[in-house]
Amino acid sequence: MSLLRQVWSWFFNSAHWHGSNGIPVRLAEHVQISAESVVIGAAIALPVGILLGHYGRFGNLAINISNTGRAIPSFGLLVVAFQIFGLGDGPIILALTALAIPPMVTNSYVALREVDPDVKDAARGMGYRDLAQLLRVELPLAVPLIMAGIRTSAVQVVATATLAAIIAGGGLGRYIVDGYATQKYDVMVVGAVLVAALALATEVSLWGLQQVLVPRGIRLLKAPASRKGTTFKTA
Amino acid sequence: MGSRVFLDIVDPWINWDWLSTHVPYVLGALKDHVQLTVIAVAAGLLISLPLGLLAHRYVYLRAPVLGVFGGFYTIPSLALFAALVPYTGLSGTTAEIPLIGYNVLILVRNVMVGLDAVPNDVLDAADGMGYRRFPRLLRIELPLALPAIFAGLRVATVSTIGIITITAVIGIGGLGALIYKGLIENFHTPLVVGMALCVVLAFAADLGLVGAERLTLPWSRTR
Amino acid sequence: MIRKTGSTWFIAALTVLVTAAVACGGTTSPGTTSKGTITVAGFNFPESSILAELYGQALAHDGYTVNYKLLLGTREVVAPAIKSGQIDLYPGYAATELEYYNSGAGEATGDVTATTAKLNGHLQSLGLEALTPSAAVDQNAFAVTKATATKYSLTKLSDLTPIGNQLVLGAGPECPTRPFCQPGLKTTYGITFKDFKALDTDGPLTRAAFKNGSIQVGLVFSSDADLNQLGLVVLQDDKHLENADNVVPIIRQTVATSEVSTVLNKIDAGLTTADLVTMNGQVELLHQDADAVAAAYLQQHKFFS
Repeated sequence: MSLLRQVWSWFFNSAHWHGSNGIPVRLAEHVQISAESVVIGAAIALPVGILLGHYGRFGNLAINISNTGRAIPSFGLLVVAFQIFGLGDGPIILALTALAIPPMVTNSYVALREVDPDVKDAARGMGYRDLAQLLRVELPLAVPLIMAGIRTSAVQVVATATLAAIIAGGGLGRYIVDGYATQKYDVMVVGAVLVAALALATEVSLWGLQQVLVPRGIRLLKAPASRKGTTFKTA
Repeated sequence: MGSRVFLDIVDPWINWDWLSTHVPYVLGALKDHVQLTVIAVAAGLLISLPLGLLAHRYVYLRAPVLGVFGGFYTIPSLALFAALVPYTGLSGTTAEIPLIGYNVLILVRNVMVGLDAVPNDVLDAADGMGYRRFPRLLRIELPLALPAIFAGLRVATVSTIGIITITAVIGIGGLGALIYKGLIENFHTPLVVGMALCVVLAFAADLGLVGAERLTLPWSRTR
Repeated sequence: MIRKTGSTWFIAALTVLVTAAVACGGTTSPGTTSKGTITVAGFNFPESSILAELYGQALAHDGYTVNYKLLLGTREVVAPAIKSGQIDLYPGYAATELEYYNSGAGEATGDVTATTAKLNGHLQSLGLEALTPSAAVDQNAFAVTKATATKYSLTKLSDLTPIGNQLVLGAGPECPTRPFCQPGLKTTYGITFKDFKALDTDGPLTRAAFKNGSIQVGLVFSSDADLNQLGLVVLQDDKHLENADNVVPIIRQTVATSEVSTVLNKIDAGLTTADLVTMNGQVELLHQDADAVAAAYLQQHKFFS
């Protein structure tokens, strides 16, 4: 049986949809560790990036720290997390959160910096005070680029979460690691297909979320710019 | 968290004894890593330049090019490395194919963006001066697109350096072999050394590219 | 005259870089005469690195150029590599090798000579050969924590049969397909586990899983040195599931000249199980490196004189 045929029939084997190594469980594990990492990462990165961008301070420091973060190999980070904290989801989420932070910090900082100074002036002229100006004027204008940063982070985390299997983590990476160890290529391809599909689904759904969050007026203005920020692959 | 117990007390994060007796081993891993990186980025660029040029000129090519390489980009590197082993063996080729594929996506986009950004009046002026298509491309358009291309090169290079570590799982690894050894033998030093050298290498490569950009684009020095 | 623009320099620099990288990639020709190049591989656990270093350093001392591919992977990865000639030699374990190359036909026994002979029968057509097996043995062993052993009164593997469905087994991902691992426990002892957790082959992941209770039974090796220190108890293999897993070099026939075979057989002749335990201890407990441990062993046994 050709490899593609084997992969196809693997999906149709009902045994593969049950149990602790079945597709639903592994998919859920993968989504869970990815989502938790991105959410925690966003909770840290967005306020930092937004505030730094709003006040225009320490931008270079922020971007440099982000760049250092990008230079750390994700595989190494996962192994370090295991050696310090042991097994389980916690260390994996810790490592993935560290990976998720840089793109979001950079993008939200740049997003706030790029808000047209004329708009900020006009807002101040209209009587907006600092926090209100930030929330009601600057943030909505910054949303496209911030969302692009979150999207980049999320897709990157989904891909890197496959490496968690090397340190006995769960998720879709299990199919790839276990398949390679037993030289079962159908299982490996299944894993690859599922992760790629999940990464695409993540990108598409976050893009959809972005469309919902961006105020209509800005969406019409800023359509081409929201692609900014090249994606960066860590796994 | 009782998990600290299993860390052997005699294992410091950097064992200088081990390091001093393993310098050739570490340098060998570094050399492998640099080699893999250079080939992946250079080959990626050599493919992306013509591809980007074509996609820039013939707009209908953009969707297929970005679609194919973009799709490739979503496949996790671990899966690609592992799946290529029966075809290209446990060799550098197996490592390079996915790396080059990823770099082509990053670079082709930047080539296109860079060329798109060349102002129309500059092109008009060049045509007016008598430049024909290919010389105009080489002498006017490409140099103006270089900042975007360099930006792409920097992202591609740092990204490649990180992903190469994953090839340790198929017996290659470069500096990743140090990281993998640290994992399997529950040994901190090669792990720390491997990671530190990755970061240093990434920074050095980034600085090198910034320097190269300044050299090739004299007018950008005033930026 | 139009100056050379940036893009020309750029493309020129690129070409130089690529050429340099590809050129430096080629193996440097040895200055002194070498008897040939041998690539030695090891499995993804430390003992295999030690054995590979023993073979490699002895061959290097004898005048061969040795390349190492340590921590290469499981046998499922290493065997295709030697079949296709990407590696020349690896330290195998007789009974498990036999059951791999005969696709689990169940031919291995406790008799190492018979097992190795049958193994060679299967290796012949692949262009491979198993040399003389050592007296040193390293078999699969199954361990539990002292607490688990006390709780269920466990001393031997057949004690697990009635309670298997309450316990989680942890081992490398290849365990569910290996005759001397999970399937063997099922057929020989009738043990069905509650669940299986894919970890690593007798490495830190397995030990950490014992520590945090995510597994109760784990695969270890009979030559491990750190089990006592970790509070792990090996359950006795009372129904003899495991067989003659003596250390034996698996080598490609074209590389197995009489000189190479002599060197390797000499090492294996002097190697004992106690030696394996000692060397494993040095790596696992004292964090010495496999190459240093192997070098010390060869020095001590006067292989370098």
